[in-house]
Amino acid sequence: MYQSFIGLEIHIQLATSTKVFCGCRAAFGDEPNTNVCPVCMGYPGVLPALNERAMHMAYLVARALNCTLTERTGFERKNYFYPDLPKNYQISQYAAPLGTNGYLDVEFHRKKKRVRIHEVHLEEDAGKMIHAGDMSLLDYNRAGTPLLEIVTEPDMEIGEEAETLLQQFRRMVRYLGVCDGNMEEGSMRCDANVSVNLRGQGLGNKVEIKNLNSSRFVRKALNHEIGRQEEILERGGTVVQETRLWNENRDLTESMRVKESANDYRYFPEPDLPPFTATPEFIAAVEADLVELPAARRERFVREYALSETQADFLCDEKPLADYFEQTVEQGADPTAAATWLSTDVRKILNREGLALQQSPLTADRFASLLMLLAESRIHGKLAKQTLEAVFSEDKEPEVIIAEKGWEQITDSSQLTAVVDAVLGDNPKAVEQIASGDARPMGFLVGQIMKRTSGRAEPQLVTSMLKQKLALDIVHVLSFGGAISGSRAADGLIVPGDLRDLRDVLAGELPDSVRFEEVTLGQFLSEEITPTDWATLIDAVNTRLREGNASGIVIAHGTDTLSYTASLLYWFFADATIPIVLTAAAVPWEPVSERAQGDSEAVRNLKAAVTRATSNVPGVHVVYGDQDLSPLNLKFERIDPTAGAPFRNWNQSAPVYHGRPIGAGPLEHTRVELADRLERAIGSVFIVRVYPGMRGDALIALINAGVRYFILELFDTGTASLRETPFSLKHAFAYGAERGVAFFCTSQQEGIVDFSEYVTGHELWKEGAIPMGTLTTETVYTRLIATLALSDSTEDVLKRMEEEL
Amino acid sequence: MESYWKTLLTTPEAATNYRDSVRDRDHDLGAFLEFDPQRGCTAAGDILAERNTETAGDTNTTDDARSAAWAGVPFAVKDNIAVTGFRLTCGSRMLEKFSSPYTATAVQRLCTLGAIPVGKTNLDEFGMGSSTDTSALGVTSNPWDRSRVAGGSSGGSAVAVAAGMVPFALGSDTGGSIRQPAAFCGVYGLKPTYGAVSRYGLVAYASSLESIAVAAADVDTTEAVFRAMRAVDEMDQSTIECPADLADASGAADTTLRIGVLGGELGLDPAVATGYQGAADALKALGFPVSAVELPTIEYAVPAYYTIAAAEASANLARYTGIRYGLRPDYAENPEELVRTARDQGFGPEVKLRILLGTYVLRSGFQDQYYLRAQKVRTAIRNDFDRLFGEIDVLLMPVFPTPAFPHGDAGLTPFQQKIADRFTTTANLAGIPALALPAGVEAGLPVGVQVLAPAFHEHRLFAVARALAQRLPRATPPDYPPLWRKASE
Amino acid sequence: MDTSELHVTAELAHIELTDAETATLAEAVAQMVDYFARMQELPVDDLPPTTHALLTRNRLRTDTVRPDSKADELIEAAPDVEDRFIVIPNVL
Repeated sequence: MYQSFIGLEIHIQLATSTKVFCGCRAAFGDEPNTNVCPVCMGYPGVLPALNERAMHMAYLVARALNCTLTERTGFERKNYFYPDLPKNYQISQYAAPLGTNGYLDVEFHRKKKRVRIHEVHLEEDAGKMIHAGDMSLLDYNRAGTPLLEIVTEPDMEIGEEAETLLQQFRRMVRYLGVCDGNMEEGSMRCDANVSVNLRGQGLGNKVEIKNLNSSRFVRKALNHEIGRQEEILERGGTVVQETRLWNENRDLTESMRVKESANDYRYFPEPDLPPFTATPEFIAAVEADLVELPAARRERFVREYALSETQADFLCDEKPLADYFEQTVEQGADPTAAATWLSTDVRKILNREGLALQQSPLTADRFASLLMLLAESRIHGKLAKQTLEAVFSEDKEPEVIIAEKGWEQITDSSQLTAVVDAVLGDNPKAVEQIASGDARPMGFLVGQIMKRTSGRAEPQLVTSMLKQKLALDIVHVLSFGGAISGSRAADGLIVPGDLRDLRDVLAGELPDSVRFEEVTLGQFLSEEITPTDWATLIDAVNTRLREGNASGIVIAHGTDTLSYTASLLYWFFADATIPIVLTAAAVPWEPVSERAQGDSEAVRNLKAAVTRATSNVPGVHVVYGDQDLSPLNLKFERIDPTAGAPFRNWNQSAPVYHGRPIGAGPLEHTRVELADRLERAIGSVFIVRVYPGMRGDALIALINAGVRYFILELFDTGTASLRETPFSLKHAFAYGAERGVAFFCTSQQEGIVDFSEYVTGHELWKEGAIPMGTLTTETVYTRLIATLALSDSTEDVLKRMEEEL
Repeated sequence: MESYWKTLLTTPEAATNYRDSVRDRDHDLGAFLEFDPQRGCTAAGDILAERNTETAGDTNTTDDARSAAWAGVPFAVKDNIAVTGFRLTCGSRMLEKFSSPYTATAVQRLCTLGAIPVGKTNLDEFGMGSSTDTSALGVTSNPWDRSRVAGGSSGGSAVAVAAGMVPFALGSDTGGSIRQPAAFCGVYGLKPTYGAVSRYGLVAYASSLESIAVAAADVDTTEAVFRAMRAVDEMDQSTIECPADLADASGAADTTLRIGVLGGELGLDPAVATGYQGAADALKALGFPVSAVELPTIEYAVPAYYTIAAAEASANLARYTGIRYGLRPDYAENPEELVRTARDQGFGPEVKLRILLGTYVLRSGFQDQYYLRAQKVRTAIRNDFDRLFGEIDVLLMPVFPTPAFPHGDAGLTPFQQKIADRFTTTANLAGIPALALPAGVEAGLPVGVQVLAPAFHEHRLFAVARALAQRLPRATPPDYPPLWRKASE
Repeated sequence: MDTSELHVTAELAHIELTDAETATLAEAVAQMVDYFARMQELPVDDLPPTTHALLTRNRLRTDTVRPDSKADELIEAAPDVEDRFIVIPNVL
């Protein structure tokens, strides 16, 4: 088994006003040779004059990279001829780089890895040479731009890590305000070195790769190069120590073939610049500019504000947004609400209007006051959204808007009592129906009250007042096909049916206060479920959660696909504040006339589910017989049907009901949109169970057929054939990686197989696969389609898939 | 400041006369590569105007000294120092047609006071030589004997002063480049403390050793020009602020200064030995406490100097490739060929030799043995001087072992010339000031000696030189009486 | 110093050497290098190298743009210019 070693040399242009050794403007994109002077053009007789700001920024980056700051540093001349280098030597640092021995903690697949920083040094950039026919064009605008070089130790192993480090470093320098990190425009550049050797044998022969103009190319080039070197070693060959260029058109590295003698840089101390001493005052000024860095800030946001990692990632990606968020929270807004609104409604409006948050009419103060109006129940959710739009269109304080428009909601129950009483008095039939156990008219009554208050009554308050007046606990029972709501035909076959007369069956067996609302969402067998059916169910649950008058929701479901639906609901509603209980039965529900069989499994399970639904334990539950199961990692095994325990949770020391859903905030999509999104999501996903003799190229055929996400059920400890044979998955991984295909891996066997541990996951990660830890295939599948339905970018999908539960 | 010079450029007639006389006189001497007082006036006017807009309200620069004393005073500038409107050839084919787009800080400061740069003087190519004969653009001859060299590399500047064409000229001193021609021509030649005068605009040969320098007809002028140029420059971060207590120290004759006279086997030509002894005797006669001293490390000055100078030169001259400016070959297929051809055609043999030598001593594998060792020797020499200046205030030394030698094969070989730099290179290695001064005329040729002092103690050099001038007044070459005279005369 | 060392050195310095130059320069360089060897006589191993004789204090320039960089003059002075680019031959 081989081990690879990757080190990076990252260059960033420091965002100073002027060049590092002269007073020319340091700007990108100007007309050629306009920002030049005798100094940066290397005219006879000129001298360099070190820019104070460049030195400050350089030390700031070194400090942020946890380097030992060199107290006495200086510059050397690095001698080599190149037409874009005006003096034919570069002023750089060699003997005493300004920072050494640092590190950067890179978060890779949610695991931290420390990459050591060998050194940080300041130098001057060269100009640009463009080839045009039989001549070359030289532009020296860039010559003399301050360039900071960061050299890492060879602590990375695969291209993805290098890519992640670059992205993280980019975010860091943007936070520090020292560079915009734009790799396309070249303000951030990267060379990589990589060597491969037998594991445990130390570094191999080092190859340098240049011409990497994006972090994506860094990943691709490194993974290609590791493959190339492994192949050479595999054949018993030796890797040539050399410099290679990444050819982005051909997706491979090519030898540069440079003469060895050209590489004696003859460094010697720059006589024109005095040595530099980092005085305590200088260091103090650097320290003062050291802002909280993205990684630390993200961790603090999760810890301090109880945000999800996705939310914290979103907020902390750019410093201005994170600052804005904190200003909002400082003003008293609820952090979760602020994060949710920023990532949903606010983001949507900003995108629509093409505005940057900082330049929009929604100041942090206004945003905070809007959220507080909502939190204090002075407006409800719908009115809050209208107010938000109005802030953008009218550029006014939220307080002023709601006052002007009369949007302030009625939150005082004494003000509503009269209306509630009047509506109840006017609708005796509905009241009677509810009293008899049918909760359906509840929605009608709420609607009447809202109508009479012009929409200003607080919906939750109305519901709770109604519940109190009518002394109710409302459980919605949703029938979603399966044997539990089917019936047995004369020939003994189970046919889909309708869940009826539940009230009668359960009469007297539950507290009087419990009221049912039965809704038939479909008549089908469990195995016939389609994405549209799931959309219907999700929408029905979402609507009831929003209405807020239910104490619990029960879903009668089939057995075959229960593990899918249960986990899917979890991914959508894990943060529900009431119990959502799924149940099923192996044998059908029998009509009332056959009361003698009323004690069937279906009735027993439904009774247990309704009981659970009134238990006030929030989250998503699966009830079967006397089992109370987690919706995650549910396995339908039917080991002993007579024992009434066909389900089991894999790999759970304690059942998980409640947690973080995939999406943040209330579900916004309509049923049709949701169906469409789920359908498209499912269309791009394929589950493959890996078996001995499976050919890897089968996956390539699937990729060509449009599959973009694979769930691979691997052998016990998360392994598969990666050996060079037709059965190896390696080529499929490589082929997929080039096309943006993701491979999520699960295990076929039960048992705590945490192959997200770095070492065991290494081989898979190296090939681009993402191990999903202890989650079962069904659970990963629903997590994936829920994620796909709720995400707008592939990057979001990958990030959310790996987020902690 | 006292008023010195009769101005030559105040009326158009005077200017024309002056121009014609200099051109006439320079025909045989070749001091100037370019001489054009009119263009100098324009350049100085532009500098003055620019300076006034840049530093409006800054009283520091509108020095009282910008008085009639400086107004219109002509001076020559060695052609490795930039002056707008003039060429900046460095005596090289490489820059033969190159015009400077900017002006050196030191020149600017003089122009700001009212002085006028009137022409550019010949030099050894890029300052590399001790005769001015390595110039690719002209021959300069000694006004005392035109078959002999002027010395170098600032030969043109020394001749321009010695032959009475200008009261002073700027040169540069990397390893004796002002002092040796000053001695050969019989004028004063000051190499200031390293960092006292901005090098911005001085075309670099050996950056850590060299300094803009002054050749002048008398001590007063030398001192006035030095004080006018001395300043910290934002364009040159290797400039150093002169300690406050030394900045205004008087350079008036002071015979209490303890003089050390370098003794031992010095290997001097008899004429030089006579002049050197004469200077030592004169000092004694003037009442200075004089003692004989040794400087053992002087044996290693030349190898250390040439190692460091060549190393720095190899990098400093890398910029000349014909790409951005300077000699562009008629034809080349690619950048590599262009650069090689330009450097082949543009550089003379002495420059090529020093570039190769400098490249060699920096190469990995050789650097420790040569370049690093030379830097340590440099430390030893500095320590030697520190020890010496604990015992004495001023050191008297020869400048060069011989008087001006003949042009061509009858003179010294290039290698002999280098070995002979042993007395001058020490001051450059230590960064300390040194002043060459006339010590009489032997067999029709002037002999010079030099005095050295600790860093920023130029005033001691002036004090000794002033005293000595009473005993050993400067002689002028018989055929070249000054074209100018002091206002007081 | 043999001629092969001289050629490596000339390569680094981008100096073209004819055969005649090689001969004379090799001799001249060798003469100097031999002369440098006398530095070995002086015991200096324990001394720090002098890189900057008198420079000790920090010197920094404020990050402000200098007006009038003379860019147009510099372009005008370049031997071959097209659309403000400095042009050099490069026949591939």
